[in-house]
Formats: sequence, structure tokens, C-alpha cells
Amino acid sequence: MLARVANNLFWMGRYIERSEHIARYLNVNYFASLDAPNELSQSRQFVLQSMLFMADDFIRTEDSLEEEEVLYDIALNSEKTYSIINYVKLARENANSARDLISTELYESINKFYHFVLNYPVDNFKKRGLYDFTVQVAENVSILRGKIRGTLLHDEVYAIIMLGVNIERATQIIRIINAKFKDAVIAQGSYGDTLKNSYEWTTLLKCAESYDMMRRFYRQTPTSLTTLEFLILNTDCPRSVINSLNQVCKHIMVLSQDKHPKKNSSAFLIGKVRAKYQFKIIEEIESDLETFIQNILDDLNSIGLKLQNEYFHY
Amino acid sequence: MSHNSENPTFKSYNRDPGLYDEIFDENDNVRETYKTLFDLYSEHSAKDFGRLNDKAKASFFNQGITFQVYGDHEIKEKIFPFDLFPRIIDAEEWEVIEKGVLQRSIALNAFLWDLYHDKNIIKEGIVPLDLISSSVNYLDQMNGFDPPGGIYNHISGTDLIKHSDGRYYVLEDNIRCPSGVSYVVCNRTALKRALFGVFNHYQAYTVTNYAENLLEMLQSVKPKGVDIPNCVVITPGIYNSAYYEHSYLAKAMGVELVEGRDLFVENDFVYMKTINGPVKVDVIYRRIDDQFIDPLEFKPDSSLGVPGLMASYKKGNVCLVNAPGTGVADDKAIYTYMPQIIKYYLEEEPILNNVPTYHCSRPDELKYVLENVANLVIKPVDEAGGYGISIGNRLSPEEIEEVKKTIQESPRKYIAQPIMSLSVHPTYIEDSECFEPRHVDLRTFTLLGSDKNFVLKGGLTRVALKKGNLIVNSSQGGGSKDTWVLKKNQ
Amino acid sequence: MNLEYNITYAAKNTYENEASGALWQFLIIPETNETQELISDDFSNSLQIPVEHSINGYNFKTYRIRPGQSFEIIEFTANFKVVKKIKNIFEQVSQLYSKEEYNQLRSIDFRAENDVFLRFTDLTSLPGKVDFKFDENISLFDNLQNLNAWIKKEFTFKTNVTDIDTDLSHILEIKQGVCQDFTHLFIAIAKKYGIPSRYVSGYLHQGNGYFGDSQMHAWVECCLPESGWIGFDPTNNLIAAENHIKVAHGKDYNDCPPIKGIVFSSGKNETEYNVKVLAQQQQ
Repeated sequence: MLARVANNLFWMGRYIERSEHIARYLNVNYFASLDAPNELSQSRQFVLQSMLFMADDFIRTEDSLEEEEVLYDIALNSEKTYSIINYVKLARENANSARDLISTELYESINKFYHFVLNYPVDNFKKRGLYDFTVQVAENVSILRGKIRGTLLHDEVYAIIMLGVNIERATQIIRIINAKFKDAVIAQGSYGDTLKNSYEWTTLLKCAESYDMMRRFYRQTPTSLTTLEFLILNTDCPRSVINSLNQVCKHIMVLSQDKHPKKNSSAFLIGKVRAKYQFKIIEEIESDLETFIQNILDDLNSIGLKLQNEYFHY
Repeated sequence: MSHNSENPTFKSYNRDPGLYDEIFDENDNVRETYKTLFDLYSEHSAKDFGRLNDKAKASFFNQGITFQVYGDHEIKEKIFPFDLFPRIIDAEEWEVIEKGVLQRSIALNAFLWDLYHDKNIIKEGIVPLDLISSSVNYLDQMNGFDPPGGIYNHISGTDLIKHSDGRYYVLEDNIRCPSGVSYVVCNRTALKRALFGVFNHYQAYTVTNYAENLLEMLQSVKPKGVDIPNCVVITPGIYNSAYYEHSYLAKAMGVELVEGRDLFVENDFVYMKTINGPVKVDVIYRRIDDQFIDPLEFKPDSSLGVPGLMASYKKGNVCLVNAPGTGVADDKAIYTYMPQIIKYYLEEEPILNNVPTYHCSRPDELKYVLENVANLVIKPVDEAGGYGISIGNRLSPEEIEEVKKTIQESPRKYIAQPIMSLSVHPTYIEDSECFEPRHVDLRTFTLLGSDKNFVLKGGLTRVALKKGNLIVNSSQGGGSKDTWVLKKNQ
Repeated sequence: MNLEYNITYAAKNTYENEASGALWQFLIIPETNETQELISDDFSNSLQIPVEHSINGYNFKTYRIRPGQSFEIIEFTANFKVVKKIKNIFEQVSQLYSKEEYNQLRSIDFRAENDVFLRFTDLTSLPGKVDFKFDENISLFDNLQNLNAWIKKEFTFKTNVTDIDTDLSHILEIKQGVCQDFTHLFIAIAKKYGIPSRYVSGYLHQGNGYFGDSQMHAWVECCLPESGWIGFDPTNNLIAAENHIKVAHGKDYNDCPPIKGIVFSSGKNETEYNVKVLAQQQQ
């Protein structure tokens, strides 16, 4: 497979995955905030800040934000690099370059997704389309996941897409944790919310589509500890960071033929990073979440760079 | 004339007696070949066709079978409109076309060999030297070079029309990078999906075997010493208007679709950069124009090509398909010498007719052209895609003066032909929700390999959707039809 | 008797901003032909990048270099040893006037054969009339000798007044230029009279004080129906012979620049090069 096309497949996977997490973040936060138990969590400014923080590289502004503008920017403003529409465009552009390698079915679904987002009426979105739009984005991405799994040969092409998907998923889950953690820190104290038992943890789980399963697993109201444990370390949770790392490990083995990967290879680095998080304990993570977040984002980033240099160099 | 009684969807089908109608004869009877189809279509209501038409359009759009149109400000993504009424060519008629286009392709190949070697046809005074030496498409670099398998125009697209006299005429030969074959396959798939019932009543040849024949041909022109050649398709990239076709062909052949930046040359061998390191490339089906394939040899600022490619080619380490420099022979001025070219190299009479042509470079013909602009089609010699064409009887007196001025400024650039009346074919028109006659042409696809030739049994029937329009190119708002070539004994 | 030449070509490319990669092609290797033989060649560069041997579009030998690393300066050095036969050109050419020569020149066979070198390029197109006239009563060779002398007489060798893109109208106006310009002018006039002419790039031995400016030299080759290709050096009003060591030919300068490159770098760059030709008589 061409190195350039491998790069396209990798990023196609990443952008597809990314668009869904952002859509879900918008959806869950917006609607959870409407009837949140405390005033701050209900505040428009609070939730809009949180959305921008998550979507646009962890920046919080002091300015007062305009709801329609923020929602439009994150969802449909193609001039914003962090918008969903932009990610979907990029996903399709990457799919275009790899068009001869992916199935007609997958391409057709990506293309439909693209036209759906491109033609979504902006006015309608600003006034009443948020729920509909974000749900449809998530649905479309589900369809794409199905087409990726169900219509492609599970060979190198599939492995590279899945590397992109899983690295992105781990990254986005961490970003969501980071954003909600900041929210929880800000919200603590109002109406008796403590950091450990913040309402924001429930929202966080919902943002990761993991609330129901988490309740089933722990049978108790989410706390900071259980939420983080579930989303980071639970190997059975399909959205957990460790699960994504396990997937990355599995898929790199399709590309790397070596039984004992070389020290400077991607396969070696991925194995090393996985091992590092495999035996972490949650109390340790929780005690300094900020450092943990920074470290794991760095680790994921260096995996991406390593792959780039080893396989996608053209 | 109306066919209202037989079929409501033909209620506004007015046959123009001055034109050849592909499905109705001069007495308004349905031609034998089309009878079954016409009866079957009569079972559908206008509404049915409207619905099928919408579905077909949506299917093309969703599959991304589109091309880009370059406007002043933006690039638009458009589907190549597909028509529901297929073109049928019976076995006898096809036999002539197939032999004729193959004859032309073979003659053109011999012509190219001669132009890049001894130039005998010029020395014998059959084709004027001026025509070659003034051609910007003649590549000095190809002089004296023997391309692998002796083939230049591996892939030819021949454009034919049926005139009001009911005979086929060749309009032009495309031997640089002829496109459109992917639409032949898409049209077949779309028609089968929309109206599968009608297929059982006809025995038409498949068109999906094009890709396997193309691959076989590419493999046949492999460099010496290579066992199983690694073939690739090179594209200018996803923004090229024919990108869908490039990706379709690569996919259907199961070969890599590369861009210039995926390839590099080392010690005169060509390699592609893969995830497992460099892999040697042996045959390149290039969909990039000559001037862009190698910045060391041609346009130095081109980033589409591969630096050093030409040297690898000339050393025989890689084969380029089509060969560089074929453009010199598909020049519209050369076209007019085709009958002589065929006779000279093959010692045969041309099977297909040429449209009579006037060269504005010749003083007496220029005089005739200037006096008769109103009855002629004026074409620039070196433009593709239907650009720059003036049709005399559509021009106002002022426009005619304008055209005359342009021709006089550079006569070598123009040729003129009588206005050929392209045959018409029933075409579904969205606005009137029924079938109306529209002008059609036919592009055939011919492959020349080192040991085997192939003509695709089918072709791209292009249709001008605007009433009365004669220009069928997709960039000018044309559509296309599935084209059935019937097997014998029906 | 033969002459042995030692030729050194040295070049230095400097980039304002670091270049991240490049590809250069050098068209500097003396060819082996009837009158000269390349005995040895050696090419090295300051970055120790392996040298590839290739050809250009007209089958002349080239060197190619593809650095993968980043760099700001790169230096190249080439050494060639060439043996040149001393030959009397006047024995080869027909100086006697014959009508037949003109007939042949105009025959379709001759023109078709040499078509490439009868085409006008941007650099070899005359803007209008020039003061030089062909005389059909003398031989083609004599006409070309006259043209050679005319250019030498009318034009002054001067560097830095023209560059590689300067067209003939400018040169005719300022009456100054360098070897490339005079070569283009010669070619344009000769072609106008139907004589196939090509641009030759090579080295000039300057031991006798000829103009060439310790750089690569340029001269003309014309194809005469009865004598074949003959070299004329309008810069020095000479017949190209044992002092002219040929590298390559083409329609004009654009077909044979000594160095062609694709460099991935922004900002300005500078190329300096010089050439040394040393002669030794062989016993």
C-alpha cells in the first residue's frame, strides 16, 4: 500500500471518529445543562465555555459567548478548523485519495454523510437543529463503523483505519475527561457539589456514551473515582482508554511483521505505552489528574508521530 | 408528428424529418431493433420514469460518480446526467464500427512510429511537413526511440456520429488520455438497477470486461526482463475532473492509484513509496498530460509528475501508457489526413468515413471558409472538451465577423467542417416529463497491446440535453446513455 | 596528433533558507564522438551523496544527485580527461559552390530528416529583419563563415548585460552579449535560410585567448547536405575544432543547461561555478 494512501486512511479514521465525539459532546452537555441540579451547571456561559474548551484546543475565554455563534462555529462553520463540518470534509477528502482501496459501500456512506453535513440548513440548525444534527452525525458515524468493519477486507487497509480510529478515540475520551474535569472543578461548592460527587461526572459518562454500562457495572452513582476508572482503565468498556490502546496494539501487529519489534519501531512504542497504562491504579491517577492527562496526550501524540515516520512517510 | 397513441411518455416526441432518428424510421415506425424495448417502455407511465430518473440521479450522486466544473469563483460537483433510454447497436452495424475504429488506431500507431523514426509519409509528400513541425505536441525527446512493444497509442477513444444520411462518421480520434470509459460501466450498472426487466429481452455484450483487458494490455507492454509487471495508474489527484475514473480503473484492475509524489526515480528505475518501503514500478498508465510528467524534461514547475521519469522510460526500465508525444497525431488538422494515412500504412480503404474538412492554413480553403462561415463548424485545432467551437448557423452576423477575424489572425489554428447533423435519440427530459429527441454521438474505446487488440463492445453515447444543441461534452452540459451492442442471431 | 585535456568543473550552490531535499541533474560530461574521446570522469560533492548516472531527453549522459538530508551549501566538483583529435575541417566540407547543394537543402527528405533543428524556438526566433544577407551564389559553408564573421564584427562580447532568458530583439538592439546570445542569433539566422542548426554546450580551451569567460561555452552546429554537422563559434569567429570539447546539443539553451534542479527550499539561492581546461600535447 502507498505510504500516502496509508496516511489518508489513518486520518480518515481519525476524522470520522473525531466528528462523532464532538457532536456527542455538544449534544450531551447542552441538554444536560438545561435541567442541571445547580445554577452554575445550568448557566449558558458555563456550558458554552465547556464546549469551546473541548472542541478548540483547551482555551477558555473571559468574553461572554453568543450561543448561536458558538454552536454554529463548532458544528457548521467551515471556516473554523475545529468544526464538525470541517472534520467531515477532511474525512471525505482522505477517503477520496484512498478511494480505490476502500469498498464502494464505505465510500458511498462517507459521501452521503458529507452531503448531509454540507447541506444541513444553517438557520434551522441555529434555531432548533442541534439535537437532530448531532444525533444524525452520531448515527452516520455508527453506520461508517459498521461499513468499515463489515465491508473491508481485514487486512492492512482495515488495520490502518482502526489505528486511526482508536488513537483518536483514546485522545477524544481524554479530551472529554479533561474538559469535564475542569467543569467539575469550577462547579464544586455550588449547592453542595463536591468534586468527588459532581453532577459533571454523570454528564461525562454520557458524553462518552458509557453511562448505562457504568451504572450496570458499579451499581452506584458515579463519583470521580469510579467514572475515571471506568473510562480509563476498564478493559471491557469499549470507550475506555485502555481498550483503545489494546486495539491499537492488536492492529499494529498486522502491519509489523516482527515477532520482536525493533526498539525504534511503532510496534515497540505502542507496546510500551500500553504496558505503562495497563497496571496503573486509579487512586494514583486521580491524585494528579492534570499531569496524567498531559502525559497520556503526549504518549498518544508520539505514537501518531512514530507511525507517521515509519509508515506514512512519502 | 406524434406518437401519442402508442405511448404517453412520447406525447411530445416530434421527429424532425431532416435528422436521422435512431428509433423511428422515416414513416414513424419503430425500427426493428428497438421494437421490443419500445413496447416494454410503453408499460411504464410518465410518473414511473420520473421516479426512476430521480433514483438514478441520487445513486450517481451518493456514489460520488461526479466531475468538477470550474466556474469563475468555485468548483462545483456535478453528476454526469444519465439517460434512461439506452442506445442499441445491432451486431451488423457494430461489426463495421469495431473494424473501423481498430483500423484507425492501428494506422495512427504506424503513423506515430513513422513520425518519430524515418518520417516516410512526409518524405513521400502525403502529409505536409508543416503540420508536424508546427505542432506543439511533437516531442523531440521521442525521436528515434522505440517504445516497448512498438505501441504509442495503447488506448484510443474514437468519437463517431451518425449523420442524416444514416452513416457513421468519425469526428475525432483521442489518443492522449481519452476518458469516459468508467461512465460506460456506471451507465450499465445504473440501467440494470433501474430497468432490469428490459435486459432479459436483449442479448447485449458485457462492458465490465474493459478493466481486465486494460490490465492485460498494460502487462503486455512490460519492460524487458520483468516477469510479472507492477502496473499503476497515475492521476493528477483528487481535484482532477476525471478523478473518479482514475480511481475506478485502479480499483477495477486491482492496481495502485498513485500521484507523482508517490513515485521517485533512482538509478533510472521508478519506485513507489509504500508502507513497507520502495516497490519498483514497471508500467504506468498515466492520466497526466505530456508536459507535466517530468519536471526535469518538461515544465520545470510541475509537481504532478516524477523527476527523471522520462530518462527511465527512454532507458526501457518503465513503460508509459500512452506513450509521450501521441498528441501530434490526434491534432484536428492531422485528422483530415486520416484516409490517406490509413491507405499509406495499411494499404486498405478506410472503413469509417471522415468528415470533409477545410484547413484554414491553405489559402484557397481559407477563402472558402471565410465566405461560408454560416454553414460551417469552426474548430480550434488544439482545444479539447468542446471549447472554442463556433457553429456557423447559430451565429449572429456580428459574431460571424468576429469569428472571421479570429481565423484570419491565426489560420493554422483553425479547421472548418460542414455542419454535421448528429442523429437524435429519445431522451428523458425532466422539464417536460417525457422523452424528446436529442442529439447523440458515440465514443468507442480501443486497446492496442503488444500481442492483442481489444475494442470494448459498447461505448459512451453522449447526449446533448439542451434542445437542438450539438455539443455533447460533459463540460458543456451533456449527458450519457447506456449503449448496448447486441450479439448476433437475435 | 592528439590533444589531451584535463577539465575541471566546480560549482557551489548556496541557499538562504535550509533546503530539505533536492534533485539535480548535471549535463557536463564531454561526449565521445568522432573527434573526441572521454577517457575518464569523476564527480564528487561536499555532502558525499552517491552519484547516479543517467541521460537527458536527447540521450546525453548526465549525473544526478538526490540529497535526502537538509543543507544550506553544497559544492560539486567534476574532473574529465578527454582526448581530442586534431582534424582539418576544411577537408570535410565542400567549399565549392554547387546548385545541387541548395536543391538538396530544400528537398523534403532533408528537411524532414532535420525537422527538429529547423523549428524556431522562443530563443531562436528573429523579431524582424537583420542586416546579414545570404548569397546564393556561394556555397552554404561560405555563407555560414560570413555569418560567423558578421556576428563577431557587429557584436561585442560583454558579460552581465544579458541573461539566459534574453530574447534576440534585445540583443540586436544593444549589440552586446555572451556566447549563448551569439549562438542563438546564429541559429536563428541560419534556420531562417533553411539550414538545420543546433545549440552546442561544451568547454572551450582558452589557451589562445578566446572568449569563453572560464564558464561553459556555447557554439553552433549546422547540418550541410554534403558535409554533415559542422561547428561554428560565432563568439570567436572560429570553426569549432580541437579547442572545442562538446558536451551536448539541443534546439537552444533550454535543452542543455549544465545544471537543472528541483530544490525544496524557500528564499533566495545562488549558484557559482567555474571551469578550467588544461591542454597537453600527446606524442
